Amino acid sequence: MWIDINAYTGHWPYKQLYKNTLSGLLERMDRFGVDKACVANLSALHFKNTQSANESLQVELKSLQQANRRFIPFAVINPNYPAWQNDLEKCLKLGFRGIRLYPQYHDYLPENENCVKLVEQCKKEGLVVALTVRMVDSRQRSWLDIPHVAGTEVGERNLRNFMPLIRAVPDARYFILNMANGWSVDAEDVELLKSENILFDTSGRSIHFMPDLLKQYGAHKFAFGTHSPVLDYITGMLRIESLQAHEATEHEKELMRSGNALRFL
Amino acid sequence: MKEVFRFKKLDAYTTSVFTPASIALHLDYADRFGVSKMFVANPMTQIKLTPDEFREHNNKVIAAVKQHPDRFVGQFTVNPMYRRESLDEIDRCLDAGMMGTRLYQQVKINDPVYAPILEKLASLNILIFMHGECQMGVGGYKMKYDVKKVPTISTPNDFVDVAQRYPEAMFQFAHIGGGSDWECMCKTFEPYPNIYVDTGGSNNEEYMIDFALKHLGEDRLLFGSDNSLYQSIGKIFASELTDSQKEKLFYKNYKRILNKGGFHVD
Repeated sequence: MWIDINAYTGHWPYKQLYKNTLSGLLERMDRFGVDKACVANLSALHFKNTQSANESLQVELKSLQQANRRFIPFAVINPNYPAWQNDLEKCLKLGFRGIRLYPQYHDYLPENENCVKLVEQCKKEGLVVALTVRMVDSRQRSWLDIPHVAGTEVGERNLRNFMPLIRAVPDARYFILNMANGWSVDAEDVELLKSENILFDTSGRSIHFMPDLLKQYGAHKFAFGTHSPVLDYITGMLRIESLQAHEATEHEKELMRSGNALRFL
Repeated sequence: MKEVFRFKKLDAYTTSVFTPASIALHLDYADRFGVSKMFVANPMTQIKLTPDEFREHNNKVIAAVKQHPDRFVGQFTVNPMYRRESLDEIDRCLDAGMMGTRLYQQVKINDPVYAPILEKLASLNILIFMHGECQMGVGGYKMKYDVKKVPTISTPNDFVDVAQRYPEAMFQFAHIGGGSDWECMCKTFEPYPNIYVDTGGSNNEEYMIDFALKHLGEDRLLFGSDNSLYQSIGKIFASELTDSQKEKLFYKNYKRILNKGGFHVD
């Protein structure tokens, strides 16, 4: 079984995306044999009031009727905007299973007081908190996109930027999505990242050679993710399927395909 | 993985520092994904690239190919600021069995100082492969957003300039997946049939390959990795390319171009 923990429906304002609806995603899932996907509304990243994107996602899910059982909805919450607590409550009632946070796009730091409160609340409610390290490669950015550009003073974000939040609420359950810009963190944070309640998806550029990461972190720490429709649908899958027998057992591969995700969901 | 192995592959853009560990990783990648030959050279660096330096670079490549002649094919670098030495180096490297160039950013491709190099390579029907970027604030492109890279990086418009000046030459713009704006690259190159691209690089945005096919056609796309092991393969299998188009991209296009220069690979 395959569960994609990192997919989207919705728009990216700087580029035409393709099959960027739940129907389009279903086509890809059927083409490549993926059973379920965790989805959020990509449009929310460029909304101030992200709740309207969460409600749109719900409408889209309803429109699919039975097929919507293949999707696990995640809400985008902006703790830097009024009434985020109400938004979270509404999303809980609507059946969202987790939230995704985008401090880079919503103009706050992960260690922001409201963000910490939000994650604490998610922990109480049993919601997964997904942190996306990078959305797109900044080198090809539009002039309207955020000014975090690789190789400049205001560089792209990396895992280190999210550690203050993870340290503040270490026992929340986290997905770390689209790992980019390296694995370097402070020594004391390495052990924290190895804890059972943090899962990395396989879409990111910093998953350069999977066998090495499995030796360092273990197969229980990774889950299939695509970052679709931003990134191609297959690379995240290849990182698992190309593992050889001496690098991962079939059981370990199955954990990465879906077992680890199910542990969280 | 069966699907991946159905297609024979030539990696037109492998980059190596030629340590034992890096060579081992290249060989692993080739075995893991069914790449029959890797066209290899040193990574781009900010050095001046004096004749001693480019000879040293090329010697490393020659040595690696000697060690693994069934896996690697060498590409050479030169610096046109050193005209005589560069022209001699082309001969030396071709005699040593190398099959193409790996030019960097010391000088823009359309700088007049490149003329003798380009003319020699064109006369030999050798694909002129150079690093290029299409990022705001790089190489003269939208410099309002200057990201402080060296000003001599070649941009798509620089390639268009030389492609028009040398219509008989063949140019390869490196890695549409190298992080830069691939839509910009493909749209710029569309009218110039003597500009090819390789699909290498760490950026594996959805639709990149389909877009390249739409704007450049199925005969101008070359497979490359630039050491991005998974992305280089994944983005192609995620695309809507037919089997025949994949065959061209992975193997036939590059083989055809190499044959023009008298180079034969299996």
